[in-house]
Amino acid sequence: MASDSRAMTPQDHSPVAGLAHDERGGISNVVLGMLLFITSEVMFFAGLFAAYFNVRANAPQWPPINAETGEAFHLEILPLVGPATVLLILSSFTCQFAVWAIRRGDRTAFLRNIGVTFAIGVTFLIMQGIDYTLLYSEGITLSSGTFGTTYFTLTGFHGAHVFGGAIMLGVVLYRGLAGQFSSRHHDAVEAVSLYWHFVDVVWILLFSLLYLLPGKSPAGV
Amino acid sequence: MATTALHPAARTYRSTLYEWVTTTDHKKIGVMYLINSFIFFFIGGLLALGVRSELAQPGLQFVTDQVYNELFTMHATFMIFLFIIPILAGFGNFIVPLHIGAPDVAFPRINALSLWLLPMAGLLLLLSFFTVQAPAAGWTSYSPLAQDRPLGSVGPGQDLWIVAVVLVGTSSILGAVNFLVTIFKMRAPGMTLFRMPIMVWTVLVTSVLGLLATPVLTSALIMLFIDRNYGGAFFDPRNGGDAILYQNVFWFYSHPAVYIMVLPAMGIISEVLPVFSRKPLFGYKAFVFATAAIGALGFSVWAHHMFTTGAVYLPFFSLMTFLIAVPTGVKMFNWIFTMWRGKLRLSTPLLFALGFLSMFLIGGINGAFSAAVPVDFALHDTYWVVAHLHYVLFGGSVFGVMAGLYYWFPKMTGRMLSEGLGKIQFVLMFIGFNLTFFPMHQLGLAGMPRRIADYSSTAGWNDLNLLATIGGFTIAASMVPLLWNIFVSLRSGKPAGDDPWEANTLEWATTSPPPPYNFDHLPEIRSERPLFDLRHGHAAPAATAVVPQSASTSH
Amino acid sequence: MHPLRHPRNAIIVGLMFSFIGVVYWFVQYRANFQTDIAGVTLLLLLGVAVSIMAYVLIAGSPND
Repeated sequence: MASDSRAMTPQDHSPVAGLAHDERGGISNVVLGMLLFITSEVMFFAGLFAAYFNVRANAPQWPPINAETGEAFHLEILPLVGPATVLLILSSFTCQFAVWAIRRGDRTAFLRNIGVTFAIGVTFLIMQGIDYTLLYSEGITLSSGTFGTTYFTLTGFHGAHVFGGAIMLGVVLYRGLAGQFSSRHHDAVEAVSLYWHFVDVVWILLFSLLYLLPGKSPAGV
Repeated sequence: MATTALHPAARTYRSTLYEWVTTTDHKKIGVMYLINSFIFFFIGGLLALGVRSELAQPGLQFVTDQVYNELFTMHATFMIFLFIIPILAGFGNFIVPLHIGAPDVAFPRINALSLWLLPMAGLLLLLSFFTVQAPAAGWTSYSPLAQDRPLGSVGPGQDLWIVAVVLVGTSSILGAVNFLVTIFKMRAPGMTLFRMPIMVWTVLVTSVLGLLATPVLTSALIMLFIDRNYGGAFFDPRNGGDAILYQNVFWFYSHPAVYIMVLPAMGIISEVLPVFSRKPLFGYKAFVFATAAIGALGFSVWAHHMFTTGAVYLPFFSLMTFLIAVPTGVKMFNWIFTMWRGKLRLSTPLLFALGFLSMFLIGGINGAFSAAVPVDFALHDTYWVVAHLHYVLFGGSVFGVMAGLYYWFPKMTGRMLSEGLGKIQFVLMFIGFNLTFFPMHQLGLAGMPRRIADYSSTAGWNDLNLLATIGGFTIAASMVPLLWNIFVSLRSGKPAGDDPWEANTLEWATTSPPPPYNFDHLPEIRSERPLFDLRHGHAAPAATAVVPQSASTSH
Repeated sequence: MHPLRHPRNAIIVGLMFSFIGVVYWFVQYRANFQTDIAGVTLLLLLGVAVSIMAYVLIAGSPND
């Protein structure tokens, strides 16, 4: 069978050229498997987004009126969610820096950047957790009608994916510290970074949808 | 030819239990998929006998309304999620690496995970019978019946159902990733995409469907779980939710799911027919494109299950549903032309394949009737639909599974199954199946609704129901020769040798059962029938355009 | 290169599903039917997912 050495040769002008091709012209099984798994996760979030849009479309007003306070629900971007978003986007950059570093064999930069990415991921989760407790104290919970249910489900499952990603980053960090990655063999780093970028893209979409998309008022108002 | 130095004699597996439980060998995993699936087939079958026993005569003789609802709910749940989907994955698991000349799948440990998730899920479902109320909202679990409220699905049974189905879904998604990477990355040199056996193509498209549709089901079920346990407002109208939303998201998965449940069976038929007609498959490329078209169109028809809700844009879905008949028809004609003027060997695999063709044809036709909106308005939720779904899933997929079983049992175990017992099983199963489900067309047309435990004795449905129950027990009887055949043949069946059927594809180029690494030598691969080419090399058709760089077969 | 081997064409095949999603939205809009926004969303995102999947499968495949 073809040996597993992988030359860093770009393949035509394909964007996956950065993800090294082996001598038969294919990318690593691990990376391909992760990319396919990511497409399945796209469809998981698609189901949740479909529910969200449906709920919005059916509601006469969005955000709807909070039955307890008599006012419309409202989400604050500051001081938690906005900075958390910026941090997460930053972590995608540091993650990519780590990938570029290990591709050129720079283990120090790779470890540093992965460590920072992991730390930012954990910070994001903590900030989200604090935000949840604040919302709960304001009476906005999973059972606060359509608004609370959709908000917590969407952000909650995104958070679960960040959690999974953080664990994977932790494993990569551990294996990196143990010296298991080189410029020729670092499939796990490539795969985890792809997953992390995906998690970030989903958050950007979610944030735009939940915080930035204009609401709708009842007809005639 | 293919006997190896390391395994001089074909023999059945005599490895220890530990080795089987911890294996990552796709062949053993495939066999365990089959065993697991057959166990749940029998459980689902017993539940069906419960349903049919109650319906044989008007009046509630054996069970209450509530228990009846549990019977049909769990019958369908076991059959769909723990029998037909996994067993086709199991055949794929055993066969696909052999068909493409690979030593295993791309991720063998994930393969083992996919397998072991299934008995866990089955166990959870069985446990639900011991809760205050087993799942009784139908395998479709519509809201508000599936919600945790009085007259709904109270207690943890429905939650266990949700978790079990999500576990099965996870198994499917991981399996799909595995198959896709295997098929695209691990084909032997010379095995281009358009030289792969059709079985591999159907597994490919099935994996695409599983990869992309199953997560949508996961999202729907998670939302239902949140509704039931955390006061969510997705689907329960009482909380401001939308019951139709559930149906849309659910069927967005469940319609592609029916193609997941039938495409690999079509792949099996496409392997069996050429071998037993002694003719090449007619229209290989058309098969590939038809399979892809069915997969693609399958994503755009989901709401034909919801025509009567009033919330569906009918013309779009009716049109798309009719369109699916086209590639399916292409496949039908190709199978028939494969047999045309062939030298048919009426062995059991071919009998089941012929059964598939005729029964799936009926199922396809009565489905086409339902695609017409006015017809569906009259027949939705009647026994017409029960007839349709069983003609395609039993008459289609199960007959395909039986064909695959008789065809590949020799390769898996090194023993032939008895032809005599096989033919007895086929006859009993064919007659029993038609006796059970053909009357349901008439019952549906006469207005008998589905999912009812009892019916009026003056409705005129008595005789046909009794007939259907007799048919159901006939199907059960047909399981006896099957089981007897398997147990006897495992002990003392005729040794199979490498290639008992004189077949065309690569799995027959190695021992029965294959060694753990699958192949000692691979024949040269120049067409979709490498073994035929090996036997009759001088008469092989001209090679297709792609000439691989490494022409040697040694590795 | 054969059209079926070009990764760019794989993306186009994937976006076909999104196109069907657009068609689905359009026919409902024209008929003044309350648009099934859940279905439209699912089809649009399906197109994205299929594009990515088809692209990586074709671009990541070996040469032969």
